[in-house]
Amino acid sequence: MNWPTRIVFSALALLAAGAALAQTAQEIVAATDRVRNPDQPFRSVLTLTEYVGGKERDHDVLAVFSKVDTTSGQFRNLVQYLEPARDAGKRVLLDGHSLWFFDPDSKVSVRISPQQRLIGQAAVGDILTVNLSIDYTASIAGVEAIDDAARKSRQCWHLEMKAANDLATYSRVEYWVEQGSFYPVKGKFYSDSGRLLKIVYFRNFSERLGAIRPAEQIIIDAVDTSLATTATFGESAFRDVPEGWFQRDYLPRLQIK
Amino acid sequence: MRARAWPALLLAAALGWAVARADEPPGENKDLDLIPKAAQTPQAPAAEAPVLAGTTRKLFLENAFTQAWTRDGLLVPPPPPRPSSWQERLLFDVRDEWRVAGNVALNYSGRLNLRAQDGLDFPSHQNVTNDLREAYASWEPLERAFVDAGRINLKSGVALGFNPTDFFKTRAVVEPLSVDPVVLREDRLGTLMVRAQRIWAGGSLTAAYAPAVASTRAIYTDSDLHSFDPMFDRTNAQDRFVLKGSVDFGSSFSPELLAYHDNGRTRFGLNLTESVSQSVVAYAEWSGGRRAGLIDEALSFGRATGTLPAGAPSVLPLDPQQHFRNELAAGASYTTTETKITFNLEYHLNEAAFSRKDWNNWFLAGIGTRRAAGQLWYIRAYAADQQEPISRHSTFLRADWVDAFVPKLELTGFVDADLLDGSARLQLTADYYLSDHWTIGGVLLAEAGSARSDFGSLAQSGSALLKVARYF
Repeated sequence: MNWPTRIVFSALALLAAGAALAQTAQEIVAATDRVRNPDQPFRSVLTLTEYVGGKERDHDVLAVFSKVDTTSGQFRNLVQYLEPARDAGKRVLLDGHSLWFFDPDSKVSVRISPQQRLIGQAAVGDILTVNLSIDYTASIAGVEAIDDAARKSRQCWHLEMKAANDLATYSRVEYWVEQGSFYPVKGKFYSDSGRLLKIVYFRNFSERLGAIRPAEQIIIDAVDTSLATTATFGESAFRDVPEGWFQRDYLPRLQIK
Repeated sequence: MRARAWPALLLAAALGWAVARADEPPGENKDLDLIPKAAQTPQAPAAEAPVLAGTTRKLFLENAFTQAWTRDGLLVPPPPPRPSSWQERLLFDVRDEWRVAGNVALNYSGRLNLRAQDGLDFPSHQNVTNDLREAYASWEPLERAFVDAGRINLKSGVALGFNPTDFFKTRAVVEPLSVDPVVLREDRLGTLMVRAQRIWAGGSLTAAYAPAVASTRAIYTDSDLHSFDPMFDRTNAQDRFVLKGSVDFGSSFSPELLAYHDNGRTRFGLNLTESVSQSVVAYAEWSGGRRAGLIDEALSFGRATGTLPAGAPSVLPLDPQQHFRNELAAGASYTTTETKITFNLEYHLNEAAFSRKDWNNWFLAGIGTRRAAGQLWYIRAYAADQQEPISRHSTFLRADWVDAFVPKLELTGFVDADLLDGSARLQLTADYYLSDHWTIGGVLLAEAGSARSDFGSLAQSGSALLKVARYF
């Protein structure tokens, strides 16, 4: 790279840093949360496709109802399995610390932990609607150009996030957010011991729930890199979700409409 | 711009210089190589919307063959017949819900069994049995206020291995394919009842009344099942009431309180759970009330149903006094971070059940004589029929591993150990999901312990089951 180019890059970095200072890391995370999630209650159909050794192996389809808890600012989620047939009717409720799993075969609701794997490679915390700005404290690690899932270079804030409460699924997250658009580009999620567990790419930005949002995530298992899952949102629609739905006793009564 | 911002800007400029030198963060874009080639192109959601109606339907056909092994030289041999050494079952399982109006729904859950086994005549009416688990109508007259009527499986409890507050579990389990307590909750008959439920944003309240519509009959065995009998005598032989409510106190604390009444007795119950961390959930389930000991209750039931002679004296010392007796299951679940194995460890207390002294009496009364065997083994059959532990103190460890060793293989195992004598029931289940529609699997069961112990004195020492299921 020649000197004039370096000077231009440095100038751009200065401008970017100025913007970063104008906008705190936490504001950036909140802004990218708003890109991923609307502020009204909604329902989506989530298709999870699993890949093993590069080949598509399986898929799950879930209906997800999400609504912000006005007290905590965090989302509450209700999930119903639609496919495969052997899992149809199973339901999950996430409300703050409470995570309940209802199996229509046993007809009981069992409390589970967020780490418990319910759907392929994805932990519950990976696929439910979450406002990261509530659960993590962010700082700006730098400004970087990285490639998005389509290998297109994006100028991003590189954010370093630490769990701010015990509701956070991961203890540490690295997150890349495109400057200007606040589009999430990439995330890396770490265990308490510091081991990289998952790499997530966001793509397929399209009109959904009143704004341009990522319609797909690619979740790569960093422990066993032969495993990956794509999570695709479809049939999204604003829908009122009454408060009473977030009681565990409502799980057997949930109607998908 | 404030002065203190300048160092940050200079630092950022230096950073930008470094970025420019490297063009991109070293190694960061290598992660893109981990995206499977088949997933390189963004996927549009399925053009045809997944079926959002009928999402509670589950239909499957399953074939299961079981081979069992028995012990010789038991200290207290059970009376004949001997347990079956093999069993072949083909079952068609249906669960569905039909919404007949905006606020009215019909629910059905049942299983049709074709069965052949060692010692069972073929063909006979017992080769075909139907388990009517549920058939009820549900009406929602007001938002989140429900009235249900019909045969309903009303279940309670937060523990896995033993559920003291699951008051309608007694006598309801029908011919399970596994002794895993989780499976036992699935293979059981509902109770004919009327249930009202109201759910608020801050809690819920449920009341149910199950009327007596049939007379009590003797304990069923696998050789005297009825083909298409709903067997209301198992679930509705007496009037029963339950009232339960939960209150959401916030911060995930929402205890559930229960009161249950039958046959002049009232029991109370409590369910508590607490999320300890991202990986750990602690829970406790308790019930208590005045009742006689298990031995007294078993012998009274045997005499009342004609299985035991009305005037036959007890071969074991009795404690006929009604005392306040506790039942408790307390434990925690833990999920490992990377391999995602979930362990549940529980302690179980059943104050009405056998103490160490009762076990000594049981063996002393049965060793060397066949005269008392009928009564002694009847007590154990009664405890199993009531779905309560026969020993006062036990512990339960269960593990569930999704994608064990290879993707789509789920391993589930449990150990139910009697803390009074160290004997244990161990079971390992493997399910391999061949596709969305096909599952194959197997179950291995072992009853381990000394000849003079709870599980070591059982006639069956172990079994192996192979199964294949097709989901529709």
